[in-house]
Amino acid sequence: MSEAWQRLVRSRHGALGLILLFPVVLAVLAGPLLAPHNADAISFAARLHPPSARFWLGTDEFGRDILSRILVGARASVAVAVTATLLGTISGGLLGTLSAYLGGMADEAIMRTIDAMMAIPALLLALLVLSSLGKGMFDASLAIAIAFAPGMARITRSVALATRQQDYVNAAIARGESAGWIVLREMGPNVIAPLVVESTIRVAFAVMLVATLGFLGLGAQPPAPDWGLMIAEARQYLHQAPWMIVAPGAAIALTAVGFNLLGDGLRDALNPRVG
Amino acid sequence: MSAVLEIENYSLDYATAAGNLHVLDQVSLAIAPGEVLGLVGESGSGKSSLAAAIMRLLPTNAREQGGAIRLGGENLRSLDQPRLRAIRGRRIAMVFQDPATSLNPTLPLGRQLSEVMECHLGLARGPARTEALALLRRVEITDPEAIFHRFPHEVSGGEKQRVVIATALACHPELVLLDEPTTALDVLTGARILDLLSRLRTEFSMSGLYISHDLSLVSRFADRVAVIRRGRIVEEQPAPTIFRAPLEPYTRQLADAVPRPERRLVTDAAGENELLGLTGLSVRHGRPVLLPNRVKIAVEAVSFAIREREIFGMIGESGSGKSSLARALAGILPFRGEVRFVGRSIARPAEMDRAYRRAVQIVFQNPDSSLNPRHRVAQILARPLRLFGATPAEIPRLLEDVHLPASHARRFPHELSGGEKQRVAIARAFAARPRLLICDEITASLDVSVQSRVIELLLALRRTHGTAYLFITHDLNLLRQIAHRVAVMYRGRLVDLQYTAALGGTDVHAYTRDLITASPAPVSG
Amino acid sequence: MSLLWLMRRLLLIAYTMIVVSVVVFAITEALPADAATMILGQNATPAALAALRARLGLDAPVWLQYWRWVWPALHGNFGISMRTNLPVAPAMLAALSRSLMLAAAAILLMLLIAVPLGLAAALGRSGPIDLIAGLVSYLGVSLPEFVTATMLLILFADRLGWLPATGYVSPARHLVDGVRHLVLPVVTVALVMVAHVVRMLRSETIDVMASDYIRAAHLKGLPPRVVLFRHALRNALLPVITVVALDVGYVLGGIIVVEQIFAIPGIGRALIVAIQSRDLPSIQAGALMMAGTYAVVNLLSDIAYALLDKRIRYE
Repeated sequence: MSEAWQRLVRSRHGALGLILLFPVVLAVLAGPLLAPHNADAISFAARLHPPSARFWLGTDEFGRDILSRILVGARASVAVAVTATLLGTISGGLLGTLSAYLGGMADEAIMRTIDAMMAIPALLLALLVLSSLGKGMFDASLAIAIAFAPGMARITRSVALATRQQDYVNAAIARGESAGWIVLREMGPNVIAPLVVESTIRVAFAVMLVATLGFLGLGAQPPAPDWGLMIAEARQYLHQAPWMIVAPGAAIALTAVGFNLLGDGLRDALNPRVG
Repeated sequence: MSAVLEIENYSLDYATAAGNLHVLDQVSLAIAPGEVLGLVGESGSGKSSLAAAIMRLLPTNAREQGGAIRLGGENLRSLDQPRLRAIRGRRIAMVFQDPATSLNPTLPLGRQLSEVMECHLGLARGPARTEALALLRRVEITDPEAIFHRFPHEVSGGEKQRVVIATALACHPELVLLDEPTTALDVLTGARILDLLSRLRTEFSMSGLYISHDLSLVSRFADRVAVIRRGRIVEEQPAPTIFRAPLEPYTRQLADAVPRPERRLVTDAAGENELLGLTGLSVRHGRPVLLPNRVKIAVEAVSFAIREREIFGMIGESGSGKSSLARALAGILPFRGEVRFVGRSIARPAEMDRAYRRAVQIVFQNPDSSLNPRHRVAQILARPLRLFGATPAEIPRLLEDVHLPASHARRFPHELSGGEKQRVAIARAFAARPRLLICDEITASLDVSVQSRVIELLLALRRTHGTAYLFITHDLNLLRQIAHRVAVMYRGRLVDLQYTAALGGTDVHAYTRDLITASPAPVSG
Repeated sequence: MSLLWLMRRLLLIAYTMIVVSVVVFAITEALPADAATMILGQNATPAALAALRARLGLDAPVWLQYWRWVWPALHGNFGISMRTNLPVAPAMLAALSRSLMLAAAAILLMLLIAVPLGLAAALGRSGPIDLIAGLVSYLGVSLPEFVTATMLLILFADRLGWLPATGYVSPARHLVDGVRHLVLPVVTVALVMVAHVVRMLRSETIDVMASDYIRAAHLKGLPPRVVLFRHALRNALLPVITVVALDVGYVLGGIIVVEQIFAIPGIGRALIVAIQSRDLPSIQAGALMMAGTYAVVNLLSDIAYALLDKRIRYE
C-alpha cells in the first residue's frame, strides 16, 4: 500500500489531484471552524457586497458571507457524493460479480437488463427517483447511487471476466483452491484496483450531480449552504453580483477536477506492472 | 564489386531515465549484391534496433553515436525526410515478423500492395492493380483477384505474409530486410514461406538482411551469418561454417542451444506402469447462449496413456486443441470421457480430488499471466506448499532447486526476467511434488539459450523426483531430443502417436511427415 | 452484418423499452408516495385520496395498471396531461424534436472542435496543443452544465451582450435570431462531449500511430499525409462513433439542465415542469422518449460501425 501511495505522490496527475483536493478535504473536516463568519447570519447591511478584505468572496442577497457558506457546504456536498458513489459501487459491484459468476443465461439476462437501464440518463433517473422519494440529502445520495449502479455493475463484470481468464486463476483452480480463496485472494486485488480508479472518477461526477440536483431544487433545500443551490439562488443577481455564481462554481470545479486527476493518478499508481 | 549495404562503425544509444543505454556498439557489416546476410541475436541484442537504424525509423529517445549506414555508397544518415521516403519501399523494403499486425486492418489487401507502386513508380490505379495481381501470382497466391479485395482478417496468416512479401518486392528494391518473417506463423506455414522466399531470392536476385533469433534457420537461408550480442557483432562467418565450427564461445553456446534431434538429452527409459490414461476425452468451448451452434469442439475423442517417469511429447499447430487438452487434465476445463489416474477412474473435474490435483501440476506458456502480479514470489510459492502439506520454510530450497537466489522470494513477478518468471512457475508446480507435470508450451516465449537452460532444469528435476512430463510444444526437434513418445494433434484429434525413434520411419501419418519435413535438423557437424 | 444480427439488435431495443417502461412505471407509480398522494399532496384527506385512486384506476392490481398504461402507449397514446388536460404525446414529440435539434447541433459542433483538437494533441504529444487539450478535457468533465451555462450567460449575454440570454426562437422561422438563441445552449452541451472525445481520440490516435501497420506504411515510403489520412485516421476515428453514441446519455441529461436554464421548450424542460407539477403521464412519456432516443442512436452507431469496420462480423 505504501508503495502505491509513493507512486501516486510521484505521478503528475496524482500529485496535482492531491494538491487540489487538500483544501476540499480541509473544508469537509473543519469547514465550520475555518469559516470566518457565521454561514447563516443574515445581515441586510452587508447585502451583495463584492469580494473585499472583510468578505473574501463577497456576500449574497441576505448579506451572508459566501466563503463561509462554501466552507460549511463542502461537508454535505462531498459527503453525499462519496456516500452515493460508495453505495453505487458496492451494489453495482456485487451485481456485476454475481453476473460474471453465474454466467450463461443468467449473465446474459442481467447484462441486457443493465444495458437497458443505462438507456435512462443518470440525471433523469436521479430526478425520477427523487421526485418519488422526496427531497433531501439522503434521498439525493440514494438516487445517485441507483443511477450509478448499472454502470459499475457493467465495469465490474468485464474486469472480473478478464481477471478470470488469467492463468494465475487457472493455476489456483488446478490446485483445487476453494471458490472463496480464488475470489478473495487471487482475483480480489486485481479486480478492486480498477474499481477504485473508476469510483474515484465517479465521485467527481457525483459531486456535479449533487450540485445539479441542488440547482434544480430537488436536492438540498434552502437555507442550506449547498453549492448547487447557491448558484440557483444567485441567478437572479447574475447582473449585480456575478461573484455569487463564480465562487461556488469554482468550488464544484475544483473538487471535480481534483477527483478526476486523483483517479488518473491512481490508475498509474495501482498498476503493478509499472515499476 | 561494391556493397549494396555497408554499415561502418555504427553506434547507437537510447536515452533512458537511468542514463544512456548502449544498444549498438561499433557495428560494421556489408552486404554484396545478390547476397543474403543473416543477423542472429537473442532478445535485447540490438538486432531490431539495427533494422530500425537502416530504415531510419528510430524511436525519439535514440541517440546515434557515430558511424555510417551506406546504401549503394550513399550515407542514409545524411538524408532528409523526403529523400528517405523516396528510398523506403523503393530501394529498401521490409518484411515484418507478424503479418497480422503489419497490415492495416481496415484497408483491402490489394490497396496496401498497389499503393507502393503508385507512390514510387508513378503508376495510375489501373496499371498498379495489374502489376499487383501479377505480383500476387508470383508469391504463389492461388486466387489473386479474390485476395486483392479481401481484408486482412479474411485471409490466412500465410496469405497475409505473402501479401507483405509481394509489397516488399513490388518496386524491385536493392535490399530487403527480413525481420523474423516466419516466427509468428505456424510451423508448416513458416516452412512454406521460407521455401517461397528461397525461390523469390533467385527470381528477384534479392540482396537481403535476414534478422532472426534462430541460428539454425538463418544458417540454412543466408550466405553469411553475423552473430550479435549486446550490440556488438561477435562473429561473422559463411553460413555453413558458423554452425559447424563456431569460433566464439557465445556462438557455440547459441549453436548448442538449438535443439537437434540426433542429440538425445534423455537416455533412461520410461516406466512400465500407466500413470495417467485417457479414453475418448473431448473438450468443448463456449456455452450455448440462446443459439446452441456457438459451441466449438476443441478436443474430440482423444485416447492415450502416459507412463510413469515418461516424457510424453505433444505437438500441433495453434488451435489443434493441445492447450485445451492440457487444461482439461489439470482440472481447469470441463471434459467428457474418462481419465484414469494410477488406475482410478475420473469422469468429471469435480472428481479430481486433492490427491489428483497435487499429483498433476501444470506450467503455462505465458508467465506474465500465470503469476499473480500483486503477489510476491514468496506468496506465490507458499500457497501450494501449505495446501499440499509442507511449510513455507521450504521456499529457499524450492528456489534453489530452480537455480534462483533465495532473495528472489521478496520480489514481485514484474521485477523478474522472462526466464526467471518461468522458473518461479516451475518451482510453484514442484512445491506440490507432482508425479506428472504438464508443460504447455513453456519455452515458447523464451530465447533459445534460456530455453535450453529451462529444459536442462526440467530434466534435472525429473532425475531427482522421477516426475513424468506431458510436454506440449510446436518444436518437433526439441521433442525428438527429450520425449519418449510423441503425440501429434491436428484439429482437435490425435492423428499420430509414435515412439520418438520411430518418427523417422515409414509408418507415420502424412501430417507427421509434413511436420518432420518442415522442421529440418540443423546443419550438423 | 447479418439479418440475424439486426433482428437481435431490434429485439434488444424492444427489451430495453420494456425494462425502461417497467422502471419508469415502478418509480412513478408503485413507490410509497403514490400518484394520488403526489397529485393531492401530503395533507389530502383519505376520502379524497380514495376517490382519486378509484378515478385513476389505482385500486387495480399493479400489473393491470401497468398494462393499462403501456398498451395505449404502444399505440402512441400516453394519456392526458394532468397539468394542461391536453394529450401528452403530441406536446412531448414537439418538445423532443426541438431537443434533438439542439443535441444534433451540439454533436456537430463537438466534432468540429474535438476531432482536430484530439488529432493535433496526439500528433504533437506533450506539446502546447496537447497541454490545451488536456486542460479542456479536465475542465470539460469537471464543470456541470449548469455552471458552464451560467458562466457563459454572465460573459456573453450579460457582460458582452453579444447573445440573447434566454428564450427560444425557431430557426425555421427566423434563422439568424433562432441560431443566436441556440449558440450558448449548444456550446454548453458540446463542452462535456468535447472533453470525452478529445481524450479518447488522443489516446486512440497515439496507439494507432505506434502500431505496426503505421510503421509499415512509413517504411513503404508513403508521404506522411497519406499515412495519416489513408492509414491512421479511419482506425483512430472508428471508436469515436461508439463514444459519441454512449455520450448521447450525457447529452440528454445535460439537455434537461440546459433547457431549463435557457428556457428552451424541449423535452428536458418539459420533464422538469412535469416533475414539479407531478404530471405523471408527461413524466412517463418524456422518460420513455429519452430512453428510446438513446437506444435508437446506439443501434444506429452500431450499424455505422459495422459498415465502416470490416473486421467485425456480427453473428
